[in-house]
Amino acid sequence: MSFDQTAAAADGSKSDDANPLADPEERPAPPAVFVIFGASGDLTSRKLMPAIERLALRRLLPPGFAVVGVARTEMNDDDFRERMKELVEKGGGGGPEAKHVWESFVGGFRYVAGDYDSPDTFDRLKQVLDELDRERGTAENRLFYLATPPSTFPTVIKGLNQHGLSKPSSEHAFTRIVIEKPYGHDLQSALELDRVVHDAFDENQVYRIDHYLGKETVQNVLALRFANAIFEPVWNRRYVDHMQITVAESLGVEHRGSFYEQAGALRDIVQNHVMQVLAMTLMEPPVTFDADGIRDEKVKALKAVEIVTPDKVKTQMVRAQYTRGWVGGEEVIGYREEEGVNPHSTTETYVARKLKVDNWRWAGVPVYVRTGKRLPKRVTEVALQFHKVPHLPFHLKQVEDLEPDALVLRIQPDEGITLRFGAKVPGQAFRVRSVSMDFFYGAAFLEETPDAYERLLLDALIGDATLFIRSDEVRQAWCIVDPVLQAWENDDVPVAKYEAGTWGPPEADELIEADGRHWRRP
Amino acid sequence: MAKTLTISVPPSVEFDTIGSWQSDNVTATEVERALSELRRNEERAATRTSVLTLVIVVGTTDEAAEHMDVVRHLGARHPSRTLVLVLNGEGDEDQSESRLDAHVTVCGVDRGGRQVAVEEVVIECHGPARFHLDSLVLPFTLPDLPVAVWLPTSIPSRGDPLLETADRVVIDTRVVGYQPDALSRLYSISRKVAVTDLSWWRLKPWRNLFAGLFEGHLYRPFLGDVHHLEVTGHAGPRHLFAGWVMSRLDLPRSVVHLGDAEHLSVKLVASHEGRRGRFEVERKGDERVIDASVEIDDGPSFQQKVQIGEAWPSRSLADALGHMGHNQTYEAALEAALGLLR
Repeated sequence: MSFDQTAAAADGSKSDDANPLADPEERPAPPAVFVIFGASGDLTSRKLMPAIERLALRRLLPPGFAVVGVARTEMNDDDFRERMKELVEKGGGGGPEAKHVWESFVGGFRYVAGDYDSPDTFDRLKQVLDELDRERGTAENRLFYLATPPSTFPTVIKGLNQHGLSKPSSEHAFTRIVIEKPYGHDLQSALELDRVVHDAFDENQVYRIDHYLGKETVQNVLALRFANAIFEPVWNRRYVDHMQITVAESLGVEHRGSFYEQAGALRDIVQNHVMQVLAMTLMEPPVTFDADGIRDEKVKALKAVEIVTPDKVKTQMVRAQYTRGWVGGEEVIGYREEEGVNPHSTTETYVARKLKVDNWRWAGVPVYVRTGKRLPKRVTEVALQFHKVPHLPFHLKQVEDLEPDALVLRIQPDEGITLRFGAKVPGQAFRVRSVSMDFFYGAAFLEETPDAYERLLLDALIGDATLFIRSDEVRQAWCIVDPVLQAWENDDVPVAKYEAGTWGPPEADELIEADGRHWRRP
Repeated sequence: MAKTLTISVPPSVEFDTIGSWQSDNVTATEVERALSELRRNEERAATRTSVLTLVIVVGTTDEAAEHMDVVRHLGARHPSRTLVLVLNGEGDEDQSESRLDAHVTVCGVDRGGRQVAVEEVVIECHGPARFHLDSLVLPFTLPDLPVAVWLPTSIPSRGDPLLETADRVVIDTRVVGYQPDALSRLYSISRKVAVTDLSWWRLKPWRNLFAGLFEGHLYRPFLGDVHHLEVTGHAGPRHLFAGWVMSRLDLPRSVVHLGDAEHLSVKLVASHEGRRGRFEVERKGDERVIDASVEIDDGPSFQQKVQIGEAWPSRSLADALGHMGHNQTYEAALEAALGLLR
């Protein structure tokens, strides 16, 4: 990752010489205006503004920093300031230390109310940005953030383009845009959105965000693999029997029923989070640890993932919905009973899939992926299960409790690494049993882990695109997922059922057991 | 003359004593064995994700207790084995005989719902053993992990054998005083072993805030033509801060002006393309709030207020110990500060 403060930003904006007073281990943001489209929405108050507050508390925002909210809701600057402060406090932010942060920064908070398809909205935005440059010293740098519903992305992008806001005003200034997921709802729509984006912005100005990449432990997959000599030699088909990627949530769709009906687990989780974790696990060592070095390798890895034809979907995929059940001692309703969900819905809340990877390193090593809502617990992990030893010089009775070795990268919630291996059971008899050696990141480091949005916002302000998704990555991820969507649209694959609080439907067990393997219990 | 600093600790962290052992007139081997027994006999002590061995050298048992409080708070964030060596010379009837009295405790601390074990070994050293502390440190170092030696009230001599055991020496120039000879000794030590000066870490909010004023192409060029740097505050912090700016910007002594004040404040005046800019960082009152401001002729002016957290020793120590290598920025600042004192 490009942590070198003197490194050029991904969009090539010149920052002159590095600040000689800056701490080389800190990465302060340059002066800029952070423009949020969808400023009255949930994402702004729950994620973006708390991230801004924390960055300010860590003294990573310069005095020349301002925030402009843009949304349809009628509000003036003061209402916006008050509302943001209130909502951040309600979400657990605020406190005595934050008081002064708000006092300092709210002066630079502005709000532009208007429709995204109205030229007047962008005229007024432009005026406010010019004022901030003059009054707050924001140096003509802009970071636009699309926190709006995906259907409005093209309108906002075209508006910025038509009003001359999509390009930087000088070679010293930058203009960047952060685009939230979902990036399209299938391959075709993603390509269409890309065309609109590239009409207005160069690719190196575009930061497609998947907050999963901002998680420390996702980044730790790279550290574990490429900063240690002992793991990479066994990270291949010779030693690894298969992989399992689990992204489990214990929550249901909550109040997002109508949104979820349009998305489903495949679009909501597999196309983005799972593909990103998968790419980092499969990728070859990058030549350089910068944005393109890492993203080139991720794209190569995704290109090696077999694209199934719709007729094979039935044998390599399971989709399912949760029914009424018990999760963590609480009785919960089934998916079709959720608010905003069609009682006859076929939207999947669970996906299990077998992926084949066609390259030298991974040929013959299946990757089993499962994700779902209302599973027994919230957990995200990547498990590499190693081959059995070629010969066990023990009596079968002595090793009946021995499982093949496994390396598990726990991404959340107990971030860490577990190595499962065989050890002798103490006693007179010689018996070998599997034991786990656990490492917890939280117990080994004193540093506070930044929130994913905090990390990614700072990266976007600095111009480090390493943890953002490039156009070709999005395209490749959709190429993997698209045939499945097509098969499901043709209703070729039945929707299985699983009771809430279980690890998925029996069909998912059959999928992996057909290969003589079984799902791990995370 | 070294002065003592009253140590304040942050709000209490829950420590659960898993087991303890105490004995007088013991050998290092016996202490080590007792520590192993405590760990072996108690399941809760099994999870140990230590990141370093921390050695503290203090003069009395009272000081030991005071610093142990700091370390316990450090342990909450930074699990380690702590070895406290008490050079308790007073009251010893026979100074010719070496004697060790030891107290070992294994504590559990809650880290996000998970119990992590923290080990504390306090050894009171009597007689000639006090002059061979390196021999006491080596048996207790955790394998392959760095050793940090914290000397809360003194700066060792360059030839002190204790330095041979240390990957990092932690001192506090605010406590040991800003005397040219002491700083000169410290600078000499810093060439040999990585040094952490807690005073430097307490200045971090000021340094960050001041540096932040020059982020961006509008302000950074002003650093190329500095006419005046004024740093006021207590002797020590003001020297170190001024030394840092001087060394980073290669400023001549003639533009630097130092003055006494209760709280630190910094003012820099510079020019760029015929415009004058004033950059200030100041703590005005007792409230822990720093004002940072920029005023450019015919250009933007703005002010930022930042609340800084309490400067708990454990927090400074924890921050400092997160960086185990040589800190060249600090070493250059120390050298420049030394120049200002001479």
